[in-house]
Amino acid sequence: MQHFTNETIDIQQLPKYEETALTAPASKYWQVMLINLIIFTLLSGGGLAILILIDEEIRANWAIFVGLFALIIIVLFLLYWASFKRRGFALREKDIIYKSGVIAETTTIVPLNRIQHVALNEGMLSRIFKLGTLHVYTAGGSSGEIRIAGVPIEQAKALKEALVQRLEVKTTNESE
Amino acid sequence: MALDFSQPQKQSAAGILISGAYTLQRLIRAIIFPLIILVIKANKSVLIYAGFALLAVLIISIIYGYFYYLKFTFYLNPIKQEFIIDKGVFGRKNLTIPVEKIQQVNINQGFIQKLIGVYSLQIDTAGTDSKEVNIGAISGQTAYALKKHLLNGSEQNAMQSENIAEMIENPMHQQETPFIKIDVSTLFKIGLTSNYGRSVALLIGFGYAVLHNLKELFKVLDRDKGQIENFFASGFTMFSIAILFVALIIILLATNVIRTFIKYFDFQISRHQKSLLISSGLFATKNTLLHPNKVQITEYSQNYLQKKIGLFNMALKQAHAGQQQSDKEVKSGNMEVPGCSPREKNEILQMILSKLPNESTRYKPNFRFMNLPIVFWVIIPLAAYLIFYQYLPEIRSFYSLAIIYVLAVCFAIYISYTKHRIAVSEDFIIKQSGIWDISQEIIEPHKIQSISTSQFPWHKSLDIGHVTLHTAAGNISFSYGNYTEIKTLVNFWLYQVESKDKDWM
Repeated sequence: MQHFTNETIDIQQLPKYEETALTAPASKYWQVMLINLIIFTLLSGGGLAILILIDEEIRANWAIFVGLFALIIIVLFLLYWASFKRRGFALREKDIIYKSGVIAETTTIVPLNRIQHVALNEGMLSRIFKLGTLHVYTAGGSSGEIRIAGVPIEQAKALKEALVQRLEVKTTNESE
Repeated sequence: MALDFSQPQKQSAAGILISGAYTLQRLIRAIIFPLIILVIKANKSVLIYAGFALLAVLIISIIYGYFYYLKFTFYLNPIKQEFIIDKGVFGRKNLTIPVEKIQQVNINQGFIQKLIGVYSLQIDTAGTDSKEVNIGAISGQTAYALKKHLLNGSEQNAMQSENIAEMIENPMHQQETPFIKIDVSTLFKIGLTSNYGRSVALLIGFGYAVLHNLKELFKVLDRDKGQIENFFASGFTMFSIAILFVALIIILLATNVIRTFIKYFDFQISRHQKSLLISSGLFATKNTLLHPNKVQITEYSQNYLQKKIGLFNMALKQAHAGQQQSDKEVKSGNMEVPGCSPREKNEILQMILSKLPNESTRYKPNFRFMNLPIVFWVIIPLAAYLIFYQYLPEIRSFYSLAIIYVLAVCFAIYISYTKHRIAVSEDFIIKQSGIWDISQEIIEPHKIQSISTSQFPWHKSLDIGHVTLHTAAGNISFSYGNYTEIKTLVNFWLYQVESKDKDWM
């Protein structure tokens, strides 16, 4: 019961997740995002070019279509930039925090004792830049999971190792 | 009678019949409309051939059922503590389930199974597909004995198996008197007052299928001159709409009552030490053993009519076993209790949560909660109507309906705003929401898997934000709250989850 009274007094003194200093993704990751955007631009731009060549009506109004296309690409570029700037993660003693978002800023916190398993993915592009994506799974379904992209691979491996070790400690304790 | 499960066992011989009957049932359901068309359209010789073909299919399915029966064996390896199923007519399939991984054993009786007097047994494990581990036809005695063996094997389930052992002594009648029993009149009341949405969806699906097939039929008969379209085009006078409306409501209520009866007839909950045994069903009796620890979200709801007659609907939402699951499986994890009195509701809450939610701090959303719904449900439809108003003179006379619509929707949005609340206490988080059915979702902080908070940039200066609590049985969100308060709450919940090593399952 004494425990109880301590808690109620301490609520304002609890560690604040919102004041945790976050680590931004590696600056190289911006290049990966840019290359992705360029590939997308080339593919969809190629499609548009073919359409302009084939279809008479579209060719007549080509300026409108190209203008719209350029606008979409610029908006995408800005969204990518905003999304890159927003990202950040932090490993605390008892949980892992990830902030992201294109328009709305979303912070997801997964307590370490609720992690089901951890996966480390390396995409083709990311591998060239020596980056990895850390995927933290919980039993709470896909919306409650964390995907930290653009972590330098060495750091990502160390992070994964740290998380997995804690998982193993937890499971051995449970089986005893 | 002691049954030895260490030797490979076959299903009950009636399994052949079950398998044959299911194949036939599936076949008939699939081809019923083409069959009718065939019967009407075809000449005699084709009909006879079709009859032979059908008979051949039936015989083949029974032969297949026979071989399936021959090849289907199951046994319990007592040394390794593994339950093993061998099956497959063409390809062999060997399923090995470690007994300690078994979470739940369900014994059900479908309609055909009830006729023959056998049971089906399903084994739930974390991770595997539940349909894989299904024994279609075994006798009641074997089923309950097997259940006992399976749950006995794992030491973690020692508690549960005691309950099972207790049950087995008298498998057909439970010893303990059920503490909740829903009688016919309550079911009738519930049928009249709840779950309209699902019945509407059912009726729309059914109505569409009937219309579509009728049209096909007319087409085949070369008589499709658009009768159905004509009927609908000519039939819509104000008077007929009114009659149609009343008829639809009556059909809807009737469907609702029938559905409720089929699903929940003879609904009983009995206590077996720490577990709840829930059984219900008119044609197919469904028995489920539910462990209170596994319930993630406890929800009860009530609408205006139910408030008048003092009834609640309850749903006990369990954790989904695997990572990715279909919606159907997620739904099957939910145990619903149709219609309980306030006393029974509290009794169930006491069982699941081990104490009743007491006083707590309630948090309200900001009035901007209503902005988005008003844009989507009022401003955009109204703008569309006004645009069409310019060009289509026919719809001008419906302006009174438009006014009623706007008023009704505004009212509904306002109600949803006043009902959107979250109440937080030391032991519980209670989320209230709804417009007609007002539901209260209760979770304990240690059931939280992760927490997300989010905020739009333009809400920063207003200090408004949203929070979502992710649990293994779904999410709970509170939107447009005071962001400073939300952050304090999140820190508090994180502290609760991280400081105590309380298991969520």
